[in-house]
Amino acid sequence: MKKTLSLFSLIIILSLALAACGGGQATGGTGSGTAQEGLPDLGGKTITIAVENAYPPFNSIDEASGQGVGWDYDAVNEICKRINCVPDYKQAAWDGIFPAMAANEYDVLADGVTYTEERAQTVAFSIPYVTVGQVLLTRANETRDVETFKSDASALVGTQIGTTNAIVAESTFPDKSIQAFEDFGAAVLALISGDIDGVVIDNVTASGYMGENEGKLKIAGQITSDEQLAFVFPPGSDLVAPFNAALEAMKADGTLDSLNKKWGLTD
Amino acid sequence: MDGLLPAIRLIFIHFSGGKMETTEKMPQRPSLLPGVDASKWPWWAIALALLGLAVSSLIVGSSNYRETFIYLLDGIATTLRITLLSFVFATILGLMTGLARVSKNVFFFNLATLYVEMIRGIPLIVLIIYIAFGVVPALVEILNGMGIPVSIRDWPMEVRAIVALAIGYGAYEGEVFRAGIQSISKGQMEAAKSLGMNYLQAMRFVILPQAVRRVLPPLGNDFISLLKDSSLVTVLAVNELTQLGRLRRASTFRFLETFNVVAFLYLSMTLLLSSAVRWLENKMKIQE
Repeated sequence: MKKTLSLFSLIIILSLALAACGGGQATGGTGSGTAQEGLPDLGGKTITIAVENAYPPFNSIDEASGQGVGWDYDAVNEICKRINCVPDYKQAAWDGIFPAMAANEYDVLADGVTYTEERAQTVAFSIPYVTVGQVLLTRANETRDVETFKSDASALVGTQIGTTNAIVAESTFPDKSIQAFEDFGAAVLALISGDIDGVVIDNVTASGYMGENEGKLKIAGQITSDEQLAFVFPPGSDLVAPFNAALEAMKADGTLDSLNKKWGLTD
Repeated sequence: MDGLLPAIRLIFIHFSGGKMETTEKMPQRPSLLPGVDASKWPWWAIALALLGLAVSSLIVGSSNYRETFIYLLDGIATTLRITLLSFVFATILGLMTGLARVSKNVFFFNLATLYVEMIRGIPLIVLIIYIAFGVVPALVEILNGMGIPVSIRDWPMEVRAIVALAIGYGAYEGEVFRAGIQSISKGQMEAAKSLGMNYLQAMRFVILPQAVRRVLPPLGNDFISLLKDSSLVTVLAVNELTQLGRLRRASTFRFLETFNVVAFLYLSMTLLLSSAVRWLENKMKIQE
């Protein structure tokens, strides 16, 4: 009895220790102590930021340092400097992120998320920070363009599950069975190995993957050009107003522009 | 009848030298429905049936549920197809592996043991991704390099999924068959050999028929397990039940409706299959 009891308590202690170990990756720097003039001050509060880390140039793991890098990291760090908060980045899977946000699991989702009215019914959005378009990413030696893709039955198209890219792919290629992968990394892998012929993807992410696979990929054509990207919050979150104020300030003094240019969101 | 019981009690007490303690049951209160013992009913099946009835009525009644159900029907066909084909190949692979594991041939024994130990050490999802995104493209490249014109399109994701599941489960079936073969007493092999059969004939006519009957329960078990593990191929974007469920959830934002129906469909399939396996077992019951 004593032996089982001590074994049982050892297991409980171990599982508690394991649970304590789990958690975020990079934490932004310590709060500056005060917010920028005229912006709301969150008093150094720690906020959890969900990132996918599989979506360059917004967020991905840098090969060399093993740390998360991207537009989202830079932008959120800058915003938190201005409104005095401490970002705590947590890696989350894209599939299921909207139910998670609606259930208040994270304070903010930063992942190049497109604003749609349907999504706005379950979560809250900030003001858009950039407008991007969707393109068809193909192998470098591809000769067909978007129109030819539509008529060619042997041309297979893939994308990421649950994205606006999937919705646009379904509507652009209604005769095709769109292969929806876990993340764009898997879709690009399938593209390079020849399983599919095209990936419907945001143009900035396309550039991100083209950079990671030098010379193997190219953009075959533009499909849409009016995707508005914004941060996502749980419905009724009180972080929306401070984030919007910070974004407006960044737009006004040109920080947002230079960030967008740095990461290739705009030319 | 009532007079018999006290008489039997008296006989027992007499033969035990009167030392029998009064541990007989206290007289029971007469039940409301004589002959009906509710504690023996299969309450688990009744609960499941009620649950199934609830979901079925939702599917018939609510339009959300009905549309989700119709959308997911294609997935059932794909899931069943993948499961059946994988299981057939896994069983064949398992039989060969099991035979190799009991053979005295050094090459076959070591090859089979290597296969079993390696595959049992890799999680199934890792194996699926490895084979689909690594092994098959590499194989196609090698074959193309050798001049054989194969295209990677000849190996659609579903085929790769079946191959991966067959390889993954073949290792386990190999051990199951080995256990079955080894459970047959040595006397059978000796008797077969004394009748003039060689090793292969003895295996084919004497040992294996008996062993196969013994391994039907674990084999059926693995079949049902494979049905659920077929959901792992969603990472290859194969449009089986789980993938369709995720696509549906992503496009409608309705989490509960979608996954209630997905779970209901998987449960229905596994319960049906487990009853089929039970029926098969009863049919081939060993009359020993």
